[in-house]
Amino acid sequence: MEAALELKGLNKSFGATRAIEDLDLVIPYGATYGLIGPSGAGKTTAIRMIMSILFPDSGTLRVLDRGSALEAKDRIGYLPEERGVYRKMRVDAFLLYMGRLKGGTRAAVEARAKALLTRLGLADALKKKCEDLSKGMLQRVQFVAAIINEPELLILDEPFSGLDPVSVRLLKELIAEEQQRGATIIFSTHVMSHAEELCQQIVMIHKGRKVLDAPMAGLRRQYDARTICFEPLDRTADLMSLKELPGIERVRLTDEGCDIALAPDTDPAAAMRAVVAAIAPARIELARVRLEDVFVRLVSGDGASSESQHALRKALRGSDVEGEIA
Amino acid sequence: MIRRIALIVRREFLATVTSKGFILGVLMMPLLLLMVVLLAPRIMDAHGPEVRGTVAVIDADGRVLPELRVTLHPDEIAARRMEDARRQAAIRREIAERTGRLDQIEPKEPKIKPSPVLTIVERPANTDLDTAKAALIGTNGEPEHLALVVIHDDATVRRDTEHEYGTYDLYVSKSLSGDTESVLQESLQQALVAARLKRSDLIPSEIEAKTRVQRPNAILVTASGERETQRWLTAALPFIAGLLLFMGVIAGGQTLMTSTVEEKSSRVVEVLLAAAAPLELMWGKLIAQLGVGLLIVGVYVGSGVLSLVQFSMFGLLDPTLIGYLVVFYLLAYLVYGALMLAIGAAVNQIADAQSLLGPVMILLLIPYALTPMIGQAPNAPLSVVASFIPPINLFAMLARVASDAPPPAWQVGVTMLIGVGTALLTVWFAAKVFRIGLLMHGKPPNVRTLIRWVRMA
Repeated sequence: MEAALELKGLNKSFGATRAIEDLDLVIPYGATYGLIGPSGAGKTTAIRMIMSILFPDSGTLRVLDRGSALEAKDRIGYLPEERGVYRKMRVDAFLLYMGRLKGGTRAAVEARAKALLTRLGLADALKKKCEDLSKGMLQRVQFVAAIINEPELLILDEPFSGLDPVSVRLLKELIAEEQQRGATIIFSTHVMSHAEELCQQIVMIHKGRKVLDAPMAGLRRQYDARTICFEPLDRTADLMSLKELPGIERVRLTDEGCDIALAPDTDPAAAMRAVVAAIAPARIELARVRLEDVFVRLVSGDGASSESQHALRKALRGSDVEGEIA
Repeated sequence: MIRRIALIVRREFLATVTSKGFILGVLMMPLLLLMVVLLAPRIMDAHGPEVRGTVAVIDADGRVLPELRVTLHPDEIAARRMEDARRQAAIRREIAERTGRLDQIEPKEPKIKPSPVLTIVERPANTDLDTAKAALIGTNGEPEHLALVVIHDDATVRRDTEHEYGTYDLYVSKSLSGDTESVLQESLQQALVAARLKRSDLIPSEIEAKTRVQRPNAILVTASGERETQRWLTAALPFIAGLLLFMGVIAGGQTLMTSTVEEKSSRVVEVLLAAAAPLELMWGKLIAQLGVGLLIVGVYVGSGVLSLVQFSMFGLLDPTLIGYLVVFYLLAYLVYGALMLAIGAAVNQIADAQSLLGPVMILLLIPYALTPMIGQAPNAPLSVVASFIPPINLFAMLARVASDAPPPAWQVGVTMLIGVGTALLTVWFAAKVFRIGLLMHGKPPNVRTLIRWVRMA
């Protein structure tokens, strides 16, 4: 069996701006890939080319063994980042319309719409007009529209943006079900924690170029954590004194204690022993690898200034990084 | 592909025709007109309750009253009404016979309303006018008389100093209906004329016969035969046809543009593009609004045809004209609809569309404004040339075929071919703009940008 998605040497420019540059990507059937990168990196452009909404300037792509998504639209579910509904349309009519456009029969679409909306706590919304729903409810309806046809390939562009925690949890459950059903999932996000949680493989894009294409498990091994999370037994202990220990590069105070950044080539085990010897711990652990750190290290290198790293993190996360990095 | 286009057509069509704006704004007017046309004659012909009452008359001269007793007699009123009804029926029968619509000939005698029974109460010449008027108010709101007529003493003989004869004053009570008042006025008029003629020793029937000249409808003589013309209809048809074409194109095109802008601004368009190709979406929308425009044209044409049938004048309308209207509408709609669709796809909000819509509206208004003139001079050199130059050609040719001197068939054929070519070119242009424009946000484009998009797509 061929790959669910295969991109070769894809290029796309808008005027003088190169949105995508020599993008190669192979996604096997049944895999869940996370497409990550800061806003403007080219994720949405890449997805729009995969969906044949935009067409590449050069390069080839195959989607579900077809030369273009146009030939396989009925087998693809797509939740775009910029999503909307017909405001005057009733929810059931909207879902039926989308489902039938995707080749579903009326009975099958109606049954699945009802079942999915019930799962998402929206059974009462079926007969309501879209304009009468809250933003969070609408986003859930839009997600249902994306999976109404039980797609073989599901492309989710920032699916959790603007959602409340309860809706996020419900949607994650549905995504997990789609994974179990065997759907291939491409998940684009700038919220790294979501990708860490849901994806088996991570593809990082920066300025239109692919900078990483690796399994999540491998990343954890390859990019060892360079931060120790430390919580002292004595809350009044002078944590900033830890900065004087050998191999410690930086100490950042947190609510519980501090995050201790290690200098390159420092053995984490030796550093942990030194910290415990200096201040009695209530808790000490190595921080799990964070995609954000991986991205920053890949793009800017280990020797980059903290200002440039800060700017990169800010671009990566949007505005929510303000004041977080010491 | 066809299945998806059909689904889009269905949704777009139903979303448009079931909206309150469409029903109130577009369909109500012709339906109301149709109701008036259909119901008015029935209401007018409906037999109301019999009218009975008295009319007080003050006739100082005393010459009018005997005549009025004759002209206001129920039998005389009925005779006049029957004469009118027969005359109108004869006109309708003549038209039906000449236009071959023999099925519309009324088989039996026309029906007339029952005559009011008005009894004359003579009042002496020296009656106090205020007292006489008070009888029109009566006691307890019940008037004693329906009307009071005061005939001037010079009503039958002219004073030396005057050019005109005197007349009469009419005072009416609240109980007198407009219809009965008309009967009274008509009877008074005839009574006065009769009294004047009698006083001059003239015979009314002789005078009437000598002064009456019947005016026939002109017969148009052409190579293909003779047919009756109704100048008012032949003069109005090019204008009506142009108006229908304009209305259909505007209604369909405007909805096409606004719905596309709404889809774009509400961001539903990318969801749709995930399910259908841009071309499928475009054709779906184009065909749906074509249907909406056809529905509007159909409702207006249907109303017009029913009105003509109602007045037994359908035979005056050449049915092939309706065929031409549909064909020219299809072509004009594709040209203007595609342009408006492209504008809708290119901008982010309706306000941005105005600068691009301006040139399209000018291209639509100029041909429409010229339609009546081309209809008046259908074979003038400029009219002939105009029917081959897009986009004016479709309006010009429709005005010509609707006129009383239609153009040769080859000219109609050439106009259609040019129309098909223009429509294909415009739809091709619109498809390119549509594909690029749908996902473009930000500054609204100008014409130069649109042309760049066409090159890019």
